[in-house]
Amino acid sequence: MERSKAAAARRTPRPIRKLNKDKYLLLMVLPCLIYYLVFRYAPMFGLVISFKNYNLFKGVWASPWVGFKYYHTFLNSPDFVDLLRNTILLGVTKLVFSFPAPILLALMLNEVTVSFLKRFVQTVSYLPHFISNVVVASMVLTFLSPSTGIVNHWLKGLGFHAVNFMSEPGWFRPVYVLSEIWQHVGWETIIYLAALTAIDPLLYEAARIDGANRWRQTLSVTLPGIAPTIIILFIFNIGDVLDIGFEKVFLLASPAIYSTADIISTYVYRVGLGQGNYSYAASIDLFTSIISLIFVCTANYLARKFSDNSIW
Amino acid sequence: MRKGLSMLLLISLALGLIAGCSGGNNEGNNASNHKADSKNSSSTSNSSNNSADSSDSNANKTSLPEKTFTFLDVSHPSWPYDENWLVWKLLKEQTGVSFKVQVPSGEMADALSLAIASGELPDLLYTEDKSLADKYGQMGALANILDYTDIMPNFKQWMEKYPNDTRNAIAADGKMYIFPNQGIGETNRMIWMYREDIFKKLNLTPPQNWDELYTVLKALKQAYPDSYPLSWRDGIAYLLNFSASFKTSNDFYYDYDTNTWKYAPLDDNYKTMIGYFNKFYKEGLIPPDFLSIDTKQWQDLISTDKAFITLDYIGRIDFYNTPLRADNPDYNLLFMPPPEGVPGSQKNAFTQFDQAGMMVSGDSKNIKDVMKYFDFLYSEDGKNLVSWGKEGETYTVKDGKNVLNPDYTTVADLRKKTGLSTDGAYTWFDYDAHLSLSSPELASAYEQARKYDSQQQPMPTLTQTELDDTNVEMTSIQKYRDENVAKFILGTRSLSEWDKYVSDLKGLGVDHVISVYKEAYERSLQTAK
Repeated sequence: MERSKAAAARRTPRPIRKLNKDKYLLLMVLPCLIYYLVFRYAPMFGLVISFKNYNLFKGVWASPWVGFKYYHTFLNSPDFVDLLRNTILLGVTKLVFSFPAPILLALMLNEVTVSFLKRFVQTVSYLPHFISNVVVASMVLTFLSPSTGIVNHWLKGLGFHAVNFMSEPGWFRPVYVLSEIWQHVGWETIIYLAALTAIDPLLYEAARIDGANRWRQTLSVTLPGIAPTIIILFIFNIGDVLDIGFEKVFLLASPAIYSTADIISTYVYRVGLGQGNYSYAASIDLFTSIISLIFVCTANYLARKFSDNSIW
Repeated sequence: MRKGLSMLLLISLALGLIAGCSGGNNEGNNASNHKADSKNSSSTSNSSNNSADSSDSNANKTSLPEKTFTFLDVSHPSWPYDENWLVWKLLKEQTGVSFKVQVPSGEMADALSLAIASGELPDLLYTEDKSLADKYGQMGALANILDYTDIMPNFKQWMEKYPNDTRNAIAADGKMYIFPNQGIGETNRMIWMYREDIFKKLNLTPPQNWDELYTVLKALKQAYPDSYPLSWRDGIAYLLNFSASFKTSNDFYYDYDTNTWKYAPLDDNYKTMIGYFNKFYKEGLIPPDFLSIDTKQWQDLISTDKAFITLDYIGRIDFYNTPLRADNPDYNLLFMPPPEGVPGSQKNAFTQFDQAGMMVSGDSKNIKDVMKYFDFLYSEDGKNLVSWGKEGETYTVKDGKNVLNPDYTTVADLRKKTGLSTDGAYTWFDYDAHLSLSSPELASAYEQARKYDSQQQPMPTLTQTELDDTNVEMTSIQKYRDENVAKFILGTRSLSEWDKYVSDLKGLGVDHVISVYKEAYERSLQTAK
């Protein structure tokens, strides 16, 4: 009996034996795999329309090829430089200011010893994450309105001039980034707080015995403890530099501030959906995705080179 | 053995899931089978799909064959589609036609493109936007209505009566893919309005021209320092309405005086208008955030005595007066004649058209029957039925004039209860039906407003190649215009730089787009002959 089983095992090739061994695990992964294949990878074939003069009725395959025509149009359009600059600047500003915010909040919360207070701050700070962008944008516009807004009311009360925030190009980036931080800081803190709990308390004890104060402990134990998390999330965020959420920018922008607020995704919306030029929109989208991919690969390469942590 | 089995299981599970995900197509096939079924049944036996609601009128309807059309129709949030509406019952009594309606769960435009891409089209489709009809029509998805005018005597007569509306429904290739919509457009009429009670209190009269407008606004601002006497919504888009009194527009337009196509934001008259707005802005006569004021903020301004002159849809007269008089019986928002901008021009932009309408699938097996049904809608009887309903049931005749029953308080109420004048239930409409429900103020506004109509703009349709050719240019041009017009009004760019602005705009390809419009317009004149 034993021998025949072993013989059977020998007859089946190794990969299949391995599959068989992990079959339940594989079965559990399967739905996830199928989800990605069907909803993430299959739609990618749609990008082919960026090389075609896409005719909705004829369908993707029957539409005629046009090569790089749409990429050419985009790169030569008079808006291209402005769009790229605005997109990168907005993305980088957002990265620089809103990436460290949850880390700081997490470090501060970590120092709070009153657990009620800690929970309270955490709850209050992550609630805005659940407000939709439409509501956030209209809140921002209402608060900052020069005629009826509460912010200008305060400014005037303090003796300053009223500022027409949403009509001055210079104010767009600060307003956008601040509202992003307000909206998401609490939510993003959760992951750092989780990383903090994984730090061995013995390390703190050892540091205290060596005479380290709270500040020194933060620098030498806490920060290195969550460094892998920080690096991984940073690489993720790099990928989003060009891929700024369309919704809120679109809702906040007005023609007077196009010089800072018109970004690639709002342009894609106006040309692609507004004017029904799907091929053109798809080519711009692919173009930005490729740049994002380059960003992520570079960041990952640098991370691997200068630290032990990277995504791959 | 067991290994083989488990592998098989795994693979079949994966295949099953993939098949499940692509099941949309199967459903589509089923739907078309249903369609075929219902068609067969209707041709073989008329009585098979008789529903209860038509039994009461069996007597006068025996000669009419029964047909059921599938219909992708829109459902308005304020009067959601209801298959039991009176209007469907009346239409069935008259024509024998009933509908199997699908309502999109999201945007109509998305539902349309999905339906077209799937290749499984219902007999009838609805669109809010005529350019979609042209686009899909030229791709080959829709029936050309002009091919069937031989079996549509009423529609033929109608086209002779309304040559403008007919021409505007025609696509760039000279075919017609959408049924022209006439009458209901009145609801889109936009007018100037002013607060008669406040004007009376301050001893002001409505301004005759823009200089007087300035003085009046100043006086209002003085009496109400917190206010922005002239307010409107949607920012730059409404410059179209203001510009009519300046003999210009807000975009590419046809100048009837010189018979040429022009780009309005380059006109000197346009500059004059921007100059006024710049002055208004500096002195706080318009809201500082006029670019981003939305409907809600605008409503707050109008209803809290913060704005006294505005420009919007004509129906806003009742919209404000009716509820606000509960607290302030004197509240009186009335029609105001448009102030003269440049000498001899005292106009409102022509907005009283509606581009929405119904299209017929090119694949439909029922095209001829659908056309016959629509022919009825273009008859006087058809118009009467979809506008007023049924005498005795929804309206009565008083002194030779139709009057809707008083149990319908507003047009919205009428729509909700009967389905009359809901999307997809009409195409030629008698607007007097809506007027019979309006207040004396609104009725008088309609009467006065007609005196200030500007000539309707032609709407030539571009071919797909022309669209592809111009839409990147148009996007850049519009962006440059919006950005700089905003700056000129806000004063962040000085009007002395106007010439530079004009040459920059020209550099973006204005002349090319104008030539494309000109060509398309001449083509549309040719086909209309």
